[in-house]
Amino acid sequence: MASKTLPVTELRGLLAAVSDHGMQHLIEVEADLMQTTFLLSEAIEKLSSSFMAVHEAVVTQQEEIDALLVLHELPKSATEQLGKYREKIAAEVNLAITGLQFQDLTSQLITRTITRVNGLKETLVALGEHGDVMEPEHEHEEIARLLVEMSANLTTRSDALESGLRRAVDQKNMSSGEIELF
Amino acid sequence: MAKTILAVDDSGSLRKMVSFSLQAAGYEVIQAVDGQDGLDKAKEKTVDLVLTDQNMPIMDGLTLIKSLRGLSSYQKVPILMLTTESSDEMKAKGKAAGANGWLVKPFDPKRLVEVVQKVIG
Repeated sequence: MASKTLPVTELRGLLAAVSDHGMQHLIEVEADLMQTTFLLSEAIEKLSSSFMAVHEAVVTQQEEIDALLVLHELPKSATEQLGKYREKIAAEVNLAITGLQFQDLTSQLITRTITRVNGLKETLVALGEHGDVMEPEHEHEEIARLLVEMSANLTTRSDALESGLRRAVDQKNMSSGEIELF
Repeated sequence: MAKTILAVDDSGSLRKMVSFSLQAAGYEVIQAVDGQDGLDKAKEKTVDLVLTDQNMPIMDGLTLIKSLRGLSSYQKVPILMLTTESSDEMKAKGKAAGANGWLVKPFDPKRLVEVVQKVIG
């Protein structure tokens, strides 16, 4: 037999469950993203420090070799080979510096994701609060009005979140970007 | 005397890479952590070139450029954007604000130095 009243209590329970469970998952997502940010920051710090130290050592070594070459003449083939090593090192240094910029790009993407997660958390809180307003003794029209208000509120929040989250990082790989002089 | 470049970026690792690349090419580099810091440092010493990121806290790159162009000492100083942003819309905004060029991250150090040399020698 069809019920003549809306199952408001069950609807409130559903909204509260969506809000609570969603929040729990989002809190975990946010914590993981924060941890990822921390690990990436520490990784880039160590990587860049090691890179600088290696580069400094290579430069010093090169200066020593150049000093030795002034005093001792090497066969032409050996000099050419040293030149090739020098070019190879320069090219690899170039690639390493380009690659080491990954943290700047990824941190921007993670920050954007955290902002979106926080926006979604606020939306879920609002969803739960809206549910709390509904009472079983409310008329159908009153419940319908509250549901419409809820939808409008969610749309407004979603639009506000979207407008503040312009995509600033479109890079799909670590190839160097284009250059344009005006 | 070495020419001075002001590198403005909120990412410490990026500032480190920019400084490393430009110092290796013989330039002196002053670092700033955001647009406001960049503006303050630019006022302390007029530099030969400004290289700035766009998305930064406190003051973004476009606002920094507009502020610098409002200073008589920076009306002709070259300003390059170095940013993840690559849309034509953003480039147009940069150009309108007074930027002289747009470099999309990640940068290739060799090409960065070539561009800087082309712009300020």
